[in-house]
Amino acid sequence: MQNIEMIRMQINYLVTQAHHDIYTLATLSDTSMKPQILQRLWDALSTIQFLSEWLANQAKTSYPILPSQSSYPVPSGNLNQSPIPPITPSPTLPIAQSNQRTFTIGELATFTGKNGRPAYIAVNGIVYDVTNNRAWAAATHFGLIAGKDYTQEFASCHAGQQSILATLPVVGRLV
Amino acid sequence: MEGQILPPESLTNEAIAERLTSTALESLKKRMIKKKPLIYLELNGCSGNIISLLNGQNPDFEYMLNSMVDLKYSNSLMAAEGEQAIDKLINAMDGEYILAVEGAVALKNNGLYNIIGNWDGKPLTGLQAAKMLGERASHILAVGACATHGGVSAAKPNPSQSVGLQRVLPDKNMIKLPGCPVHPDWFLGTLAHLLLYGEPETDNLDRPLMFYSTLIHDRCPRRPFFDRGIFAEKLGDKTCLFKLGCRGPVTRVDCPTRQWNGHVNWPIGDNTPCIGCAQFGFPDAMAPFISYDTTRVVKNE
Repeated sequence: MQNIEMIRMQINYLVTQAHHDIYTLATLSDTSMKPQILQRLWDALSTIQFLSEWLANQAKTSYPILPSQSSYPVPSGNLNQSPIPPITPSPTLPIAQSNQRTFTIGELATFTGKNGRPAYIAVNGIVYDVTNNRAWAAATHFGLIAGKDYTQEFASCHAGQQSILATLPVVGRLV
Repeated sequence: MEGQILPPESLTNEAIAERLTSTALESLKKRMIKKKPLIYLELNGCSGNIISLLNGQNPDFEYMLNSMVDLKYSNSLMAAEGEQAIDKLINAMDGEYILAVEGAVALKNNGLYNIIGNWDGKPLTGLQAAKMLGERASHILAVGACATHGGVSAAKPNPSQSVGLQRVLPDKNMIKLPGCPVHPDWFLGTLAHLLLYGEPETDNLDRPLMFYSTLIHDRCPRRPFFDRGIFAEKLGDKTCLFKLGCRGPVTRVDCPTRQWNGHVNWPIGDNTPCIGCAQFGFPDAMAPFISYDTTRVVKNE
């Protein structure tokens, strides 16, 4: 019940912000601000939709939605309690793991992203986690499957785009 | 500012397309623009694009045929057949024309895997027609996945050695409209733009920015579920379909806001993952279309 109250407050806050943004847009003389405000409106609306969907689901089933496929395992003892939904977006939480771990190519091959395993790939000797990377849906990326060394493939498709690697969580080194 | 469109004028896709259509019609009436001849070539493919186009609204296909262009050849839609049809095709080459091509170009055995008719008693291959007509066209539109990059026709093992149209016309500029099939708005909108204002602005892969500029993922109504790590485990679940293999995050097109079948719905709206049909490399690079083993947790494997 406390969760529902929190979500209600969140929705009220978003609606207030949206009202304010609409007012700002209507009186705006500096058009360079417009895209940002529109983007914020869009985000607010998406979040409101998300929260209302969650509420509708709660009302319909009385069972909470479990974030069962997130990268953090849900302790089994918790299953009967109603989990607190994360209110802040967390798309790129760093994986709380030592990044000093070493992998052989054989060990790497077991991290295929299937059957509950994380999805890892290696580029230039560094092992990266792509489990929740948006370009790796179902642990596949343009015909490549997770669990392999893709140094050459990266060089041929993403030459000069080191920034891609910089955004990926590092899990260790390939030896 | 003059000419700026402000609410309460509708800004829906339908309204924008309709404005485009009525502007074209007005300009035609005032003789500011002229009808242009169009040759629509179907090569190695499934005719899926022409079927999708028949579903167009504002402008609808019939309107397009009657008002915007002078359709010189389309083997699916014209009344003539056999050598008579091919004669029309050859005669149309004498004047200026816009060439639209759907389907891939089959290279095997010098193009013999795809024959589109008989010319002077000899088989006319798709390869021959693509080269001959492409060289002389004023504008070229590659329509659908097969024409833009080989698509389904070029999928492994590619027995006909199919390639995209650009491969046989390497020096020609062409507007590419990937999609399997193409959305009628993408084709008719591009064509209307071509007639009214010239070639639309395109990205580095020759796709019109007005349709292909945003990732599906960035306008997906289920994006908040992705951001919170709440994923669907089976078809029909109302949350983010990423773990099932949704290709929305790598596909750049406007399906979430445009929608299909008269702007009614689209795959994710109907709880099935995007299969990336408007992405280059489809279908091989977008496979598998669905995976369940990424959502199933097996302990002590």
